[in-house]
Amino acid sequence: MRKFLMLAIVAALIIPISSLAAYPEKPIKIIVPSKAGGSTDTTARLFIKSAKKYWPNAEFVIKNTGGSGGQKGFEEIARAKPNGYTIGMVFTTQVVAHVVSKRARYTLDSFHIIGNSMQDPLIIGVPAESPIKNLKEFMAAAKAKSLTAAVNGIGSDDFVAAKKFEQQTGVTFNLMPTKGSTEQKAMILGGHIDASFMNLSQLQGQHKAGTARIIAILADKRSDILPDVKTAAEQGYPVSMTATRGFVAPAKVDKKILAKLDDLVSKVNKDPDFAAACDKAVLFRLPMTGPEYLDYLTKLQAETQKFYDMNPW
Amino acid sequence: MILQALQALFTPISLFAVFIGTTSGVIVGGMPGLTATMAVALLIPVTFALEPLTGLLLMGGVYCGAMYGGSIPAILLRTPGTPAAVATALEGYPMTQKGHGGLALKVSVIASFTGGMFSALVLLLVAPVLAIFALTFGPPEYFLLAILGLAGIVSMADDENRLVKAIISGLIGLIMAVVGTDPMSGMLRYTAGLTDLFDGIAFMPALIGMFSISQMLELTGTKSIITDTSTITKIKREPLPKGIHKPIVLGSLVGTIIGILPGEGATIAAFMSYNIARRRSKHPELFGKGNPEGIAAAEAGNNGCVGGSLVPTLTLGIPGNSVAAALLGGLLVHGLIPGPELFTKYGVMTYAFIMSLFIANIVFLLLGLFMAPYFARISLTPTALLIPVVCLFSVLGSYAMNNSILDIFIALLCGLAAILLQKTGFSLGALILGLILGPIAETGFAQALIMGHGSYAIFFNRPQAVALWAIILLLLVPPIYQIYKQRKTP
Repeated sequence: MRKFLMLAIVAALIIPISSLAAYPEKPIKIIVPSKAGGSTDTTARLFIKSAKKYWPNAEFVIKNTGGSGGQKGFEEIARAKPNGYTIGMVFTTQVVAHVVSKRARYTLDSFHIIGNSMQDPLIIGVPAESPIKNLKEFMAAAKAKSLTAAVNGIGSDDFVAAKKFEQQTGVTFNLMPTKGSTEQKAMILGGHIDASFMNLSQLQGQHKAGTARIIAILADKRSDILPDVKTAAEQGYPVSMTATRGFVAPAKVDKKILAKLDDLVSKVNKDPDFAAACDKAVLFRLPMTGPEYLDYLTKLQAETQKFYDMNPW
Repeated sequence: MILQALQALFTPISLFAVFIGTTSGVIVGGMPGLTATMAVALLIPVTFALEPLTGLLLMGGVYCGAMYGGSIPAILLRTPGTPAAVATALEGYPMTQKGHGGLALKVSVIASFTGGMFSALVLLLVAPVLAIFALTFGPPEYFLLAILGLAGIVSMADDENRLVKAIISGLIGLIMAVVGTDPMSGMLRYTAGLTDLFDGIAFMPALIGMFSISQMLELTGTKSIITDTSTITKIKREPLPKGIHKPIVLGSLVGTIIGILPGEGATIAAFMSYNIARRRSKHPELFGKGNPEGIAAAEAGNNGCVGGSLVPTLTLGIPGNSVAAALLGGLLVHGLIPGPELFTKYGVMTYAFIMSLFIANIVFLLLGLFMAPYFARISLTPTALLIPVVCLFSVLGSYAMNNSILDIFIALLCGLAAILLQKTGFSLGALILGLILGPIAETGFAQALIMGHGSYAIFFNRPQAVALWAIILLLLVPPIYQIYKQRKTP
């Protein structure tokens, strides 16, 4: 009897491990909650390229589920069969904004957070012919009259950044929601608005070409690609905000598979070829481990909740 | 620099890339549901592995080819391959029914070619100046531009489609466009808790339903689209209609201008030039019944958009429409940042790309002219074969756009609704106009008011806005005066 029990216990331990040892034995689907060609999509494709170095036998496929600010894609990841063969990407602030606005059919608990990979810090851009050259002049102008500032839609990273800036500095903007960075760029370059809150990657080309000016980067340190642009903190207003793009899996996936995935993402994050490819594609890396990223997301959700409660959408 | 660019372009691999790109573009454009945007986006990962120039040439070819390709099924089956070909379907299909499908195809390919060549020339010669002009358009101008487009509803009315009915159709379109997330406040409107509706009723499935599926339902009971086979064989000898150059020139101009404006797409360009051609035509009563002038204007318009949309993309990094946006992504991947550098430091590549657009246009011109008689035979296909195949592609296309099952139901529902509307004399063209332009008008209006801190003066105190008001009045006054005159003398 005892022998039988021992055997059973040993078997119970060995069988799942041996079946796990084979993971991944079929293609792993990565759900990208945005259209093909965007920066989240590019991140996933570059990730796959480098991941093959560490898991030579693994196959990855990308599924683009765009629309509704990523919500469709986030829900698809949360709903996916927790067998480890479907993982996905999330981007902020949208992933928490949908929870805050009570529209999402998921919470942060629906995911196992694997880790973060990229970021895109927020910046404040003004037209090239604007008299505003730095944050001090910007603040003076904002106090004199309500400046028209464009953001991507309500609940986006730009919107939260603008609200955060308002809250920490006491000025108020005449906020103009747009359909996205294309429209924001056209309005800045055409001088139709006073300023725009948007991501660094979206306006850095125009800043370099001299058709628009970035007056502050809302980050802790300056960016390597635009070393001349001062941070907001350097100019006396310590507002920081960034958009992140990380990897998650459905929450109920087997712990051992999750450990493997965590390991893969952290290895790719450290991979020099991956870093070089990201630099080339103008993507900024911000490696975070799972617990770090979860902590970041939780804090961001609380913060977004505050803005939602003040002015729900 | 130009010589070096030509050298880079006239290598076998480059020419092959242009040829393959254009041919596959025509095929992609010809399939309902597969759009140029999708094709270019899918090509980006492929271009990682290629030389930057080869990748660009491939994408440019796809773009040019797809814009033309959309017109083929639009003319033959009343199933627009791309949204930009809807206006073409309005005129092209009646021609096919009369047995002039081959001629319609010929007009379409020549108009597409002219529009494409003209806009590429504009891009090559005066891109930077025009880009600056495009930037002077702000929210108030976009609102007025949408109103200008909506004014076209009036010209959709004729003897059978009364003006009141055309306006009602337009309103139905506008009401459908209300569904989704409010662009200003972020509130949800009439989404019934369906995530798939948060971005509004998807345009492509609605279109597939209203044109493809309704058309297939309509065809049940007939043997084939045309019964008289004698005219089909005469295509090669059929001369181009007289005076066709006027709408082509007009369409090329309007298409290029609309293309340059960031965010405005080929669909709007095609509709705008179609409407203006209809207004200016000597025989407006023939429109809607198979007038080649309409095809000429619409096709010159949507292909004119190609070069136009690349103007702000290459000079400022602001994509003129969604295809250009995907193409911009492809540029950035190769480290090519739009701006003056693109025309100096990377000038060889940029000029080679622009000049490849000319070759792409020539490729599809030859392809179109040579294949027209064969394409035209599609209209002889027995409906027992045609209906299932087209319906299959319609369902597939509706789903593929957003991977959404709901979109298939939207397509089917729109198909049924379109049959009812048509039988009762409501214009589908007007409905589509409302559906496309509603969101642009709404966002432009709200943003303009934010910009003006709540004052309506912003719609009148900018020179561009005033000019647009003048054009709107010019388009609206004559038909209204005509109606007034008809009422007086019954």
